[in-house]
Amino acid sequence: MATTPHEHGYNPALLHHFDTPGQQKEAATLGMWAFLVTEIMLFGGIFLAYMVYRWAYPAIWAAAAPHLNTPLATVNTVVLLVSSLTVALSVHAAEMGNKRQLVTLLLVTILLGATFLGIKFTEYGEKFAHCAGYANPVAWMTGGERLAEAECLVPGANFLFPTEVASAAEGSAAPALVARPGMKTPHQLFFFLYFCATGLHAIHMIVGITVMSVIAWMASRNKFSPTYFTPVEIGGLYWHLIDIIWVFLFPLFYLV
Amino acid sequence: MPNAHNSGHESEGNYGHISVQTYWIVFGSLMVLMVLTVAAWYAQKHFIHLPEIVAVGIALAIAIAKTTLIIYFFMHVKVSSKLTQIFAVSAFVWLMILFVITMGDYMARGWPPQKGPLTQAPAVIAVGEIQSSALAGD
Repeated sequence: MATTPHEHGYNPALLHHFDTPGQQKEAATLGMWAFLVTEIMLFGGIFLAYMVYRWAYPAIWAAAAPHLNTPLATVNTVVLLVSSLTVALSVHAAEMGNKRQLVTLLLVTILLGATFLGIKFTEYGEKFAHCAGYANPVAWMTGGERLAEAECLVPGANFLFPTEVASAAEGSAAPALVARPGMKTPHQLFFFLYFCATGLHAIHMIVGITVMSVIAWMASRNKFSPTYFTPVEIGGLYWHLIDIIWVFLFPLFYLV
Repeated sequence: MPNAHNSGHESEGNYGHISVQTYWIVFGSLMVLMVLTVAAWYAQKHFIHLPEIVAVGIALAIAIAKTTLIIYFFMHVKVSSKLTQIFAVSAFVWLMILFVITMGDYMARGWPPQKGPLTQAPAVIAVGEIQSSALAGD
């Protein structure tokens, strides 16, 4: 810590409207939890929609869910659980005043978050590449391998679920490429929820990485001490919440 | 789960400390639970056929166990003030209200009928008939 002219009884991190650093930390933690409760309710709405529709149309879930990439999602689960550990350890390092360890752990956390997003991007890319008629994102960019069986699992006008192609071909010569909501493509419902839920989660991940980057920068600039590390603590709370959301998304979408 | 009861005499904002060893044990448990949920899914898909409600129940029970571990240890609820603990628990109370009342309403109204309106057009008509006959009855 840089020396200040008021070494005794003056704490630059203590705001004037708080009596003690403990009270200030308590207020910050409680405020963060109040925010996290609203976040849980935000995702709660999506989970409610999931519950209602899965209960109503179990057959759609059974047919649609195997089209998601479970191995990649499993890897992502491991990545997020490890990142939760590094965050917990970084809060501990801050508490101990170990700056080097704190910055290292925060950077590892950011790296793991970026890995998660990279894998998510690959998953999404695969779905979009299929809509464009290519087997995978790389083939899409380089104009390589075409997709053998027409498929488009991104909700929208071009949505085309593989088993729906056969039934559409029976009825008319032209394949039913235009989705008629509620009739030809009921499987769209599952993928709509999938993109909403995982997309909102990915946005939270981007915010989380930004928050962690700021905290890592603050840590490297000696902004924290064993008596003041509240940003590390409440930033960590946010990161753990992202992990918890994924803990539910993973079995509900990939392990149907 | 061992619940270390805090005496409450510590200074404000400091209710104890969670050791690095605990973090590693919690992480190990989370990994074991993760493997369990994937294994349960794989077994259910390839070897034993459980009713869907049981399979979902197992997956959700494991997810809730993981969440409890993360909230209690990683998010320091174990060593937080009573008010923070109440806030943390309240989130799930609100969620239960959201889920139970909404699903209770759907079930009480008999929606959807045996086959959903999206998959089978006649089901929509069936609901319409029920409603119109109910109106006619009044």
